[in-house]
Amino acid sequence: MHTQHAEYWITNMKLLIVDDEERFLQSTKKLLDRKGFDVRTAPGGEECLEILEKERIDVVVLDIKMPGIGGMESLKRIKRRHPTIEVIMLTGHGTGEYAVDALIWGAADFLLKPISMPELIAKVEEAVARRHVLEEKIRLARAIKAESDESEPDKSVNNENRKE
Amino acid sequence: MKQETPEKTMRKTILSSLILIPIIPFILIIAIGYVGSRISIENRTVESMQRIVEDHRQMIDTFLRERRTNLEFVINTHQYEYLSKGRNLDSVYHNLRTISNAFVDLGVFDEEGLHVAYHGPYQLEGKIYKDEPWFKEVMETGMHISDVFLGFRDYPHFIIAVKKEENDRSWVLRATIDTHIFNTMVGRIRIGETGEAYIINREGLFQTQPRTGGDLLEKDPARAMYLRSHEGVKTYTGTRDFIREFGWFFGPTNPGIQDYLVATTWLKEKDWLLVARQEKRDAFSGLSATMYLIGAISIIGTAGIVFIAFNQTGRLLNRIREVSGEKATLENQLIHATRLAELGQMAAGFAHEINNPLQIIRSEYALVDFILKEMKEKREITNEEALEELEDSIRQIIVQVERCSGITQAILKFGRHSEPQIEDIELSGFIPEITETISNKASVNGISIKQIIDEKTPPVRADKGQLQQVLLNLFNNAIDAIVDRHGSQGGKLSVSAKPSDDAWIDIAVQDNGPGISPENIDKIFSPFFTTKAPGKGTGLGLSVCYGIVENLGGKMTVSSQPGRGTTFTIRLPASG
Repeated sequence: MHTQHAEYWITNMKLLIVDDEERFLQSTKKLLDRKGFDVRTAPGGEECLEILEKERIDVVVLDIKMPGIGGMESLKRIKRRHPTIEVIMLTGHGTGEYAVDALIWGAADFLLKPISMPELIAKVEEAVARRHVLEEKIRLARAIKAESDESEPDKSVNNENRKE
Repeated sequence: MKQETPEKTMRKTILSSLILIPIIPFILIIAIGYVGSRISIENRTVESMQRIVEDHRQMIDTFLRERRTNLEFVINTHQYEYLSKGRNLDSVYHNLRTISNAFVDLGVFDEEGLHVAYHGPYQLEGKIYKDEPWFKEVMETGMHISDVFLGFRDYPHFIIAVKKEENDRSWVLRATIDTHIFNTMVGRIRIGETGEAYIINREGLFQTQPRTGGDLLEKDPARAMYLRSHEGVKTYTGTRDFIREFGWFFGPTNPGIQDYLVATTWLKEKDWLLVARQEKRDAFSGLSATMYLIGAISIIGTAGIVFIAFNQTGRLLNRIREVSGEKATLENQLIHATRLAELGQMAAGFAHEINNPLQIIRSEYALVDFILKEMKEKREITNEEALEELEDSIRQIIVQVERCSGITQAILKFGRHSEPQIEDIELSGFIPEITETISNKASVNGISIKQIIDEKTPPVRADKGQLQQVLLNLFNNAIDAIVDRHGSQGGKLSVSAKPSDDAWIDIAVQDNGPGISPENIDKIFSPFFTTKAPGKGTGLGLSVCYGIVENLGGKMTVSSQPGRGTTFTIRLPASG
């Protein structure tokens, strides 16, 4: 079961790249697709949030300066709604205030454009690994819980009720 | 019309105030001194004149009184019958002559005015004087001193006549006074060089001859002024107008009435006016001496004031020029600094925007590179030569992107206004730490590093990271410069730190590189200015350093001697 999970994470990592530069989305998607990632793209904050509602995404690469909902606002909303999703900020505007704010709001990393693709991929993989560990941790925690719930079915029912 | 330069205007203003302010009180003092001494000299002169005139009047009065008394004595001690005999009259006359030789003749008249007896140079016996005014008056008043008149003799003379009442008849004794003797006596007055005295009668006719012209019995031109009744001595100083006052200065002129100091007094024995006068320039000669002195003081004083004014104006203007120059330099520096800051912000904006296209190029490159490798592995490309060229070309894309990204990173650092973390940094420990990091690079290039840190140097107030960045930048620049000139031998790099005054510390980084040419030294801190080969330097290092030092509240300066080396000096605030 464990192995199955790990393979799932490596081969089925779902990546969402959010940037208002159409050409950047295209070329990056093509490259990462070829590297075996499952890549979605969004040209802005609204589209990003829509996709996150519909699909399960593991890592978001998020630009800061975008028309509409900017990167920082998107980060806040993503983290509020999906706290376990890893968000990597990637921006041409590498100022200190953004970096500190982004990390406070829960961004996994703060990268400066232009970044080389191998570097970006490495950062994404790091994030995926962290996400995997976290998911695994949650899964195990739930499994333990389920086992103990089986021995104490009353509490389990209560828990289920509470969740809904 | 030609516009005056501000400096000329300023010069005029300063000069006129420097001259006018001291010269006004100076002139006032001189004027007061002049007026004071003038009044005192005039008063003294006038008083002395009055005294002399009074003495003179007494002498003339005495003369007239004595002559009258002589006649009265004769008439009282002799009988009419006796004197009317010519022989007797002769002897009496001779007696009188022994008393005073002013008696020219002597005559006896009966009450009808008949000239009964006469002794003298004329033939006057038998003439009738009954209607002559003097005779009438003597018959009325008993005594008469006449004005000077021509009479029967047609020669100017004056007479003294006395009357005697004897029993039932009266008779008159008359003597003529020698006008020459009288004239001499009246005229003989000692008042300076130009002093003179004369007598005029009620009508203003000369009774004696003035030394300076005018004949007997002529009218005194100034009579209108003098002929007033008054007691004692009256003086006239005349009007005081400039030309007369300073006439002596312009050369000799013919003196007019106004040029005399005049004293008049009425005689007691006769209604004659004694007039004494002296030319003012003679009377007030003491004043001229004072005037010369005052004039000399005025000229010397004024010249002194003007000289000092010119001197001081020159010095003041020089000082003002210096200060304006300093001001202009400061303004230029301020403008320069402001421009640098603006340029930094603008450049940061550009850098941000350029990062996006750079990122796309990188992505595209990565994609191309990946696809090319795949194709190569699958042997889809068979032309090895073309493949190699393609790979090389693609590599260049990333090399150039790296270069661009280096520039934008540097720009962003330059434009960043993050708050520095200020702390006290002990330079005796801090500087060696930094030189340690470049010691390898230096020794490889044969550069000796000298560190001179003054023991008295207090800690410096700065951000450690920023100061490190600045010093490293300067060291690296210095090494590049030294290698440029000396290759790998004979390089010298020195870093020194010492307190410049109470509040500041100077850190100097000196190299013996080729130096900076004068045309480049002004641009050395400008962003993107570099003398290095294209691609070797961004031209931002020194401008970033400059910005950092300014941000730390310090100053960065450069001095260079082409061919000798360059010194960068950072002045930072000292701790405490």
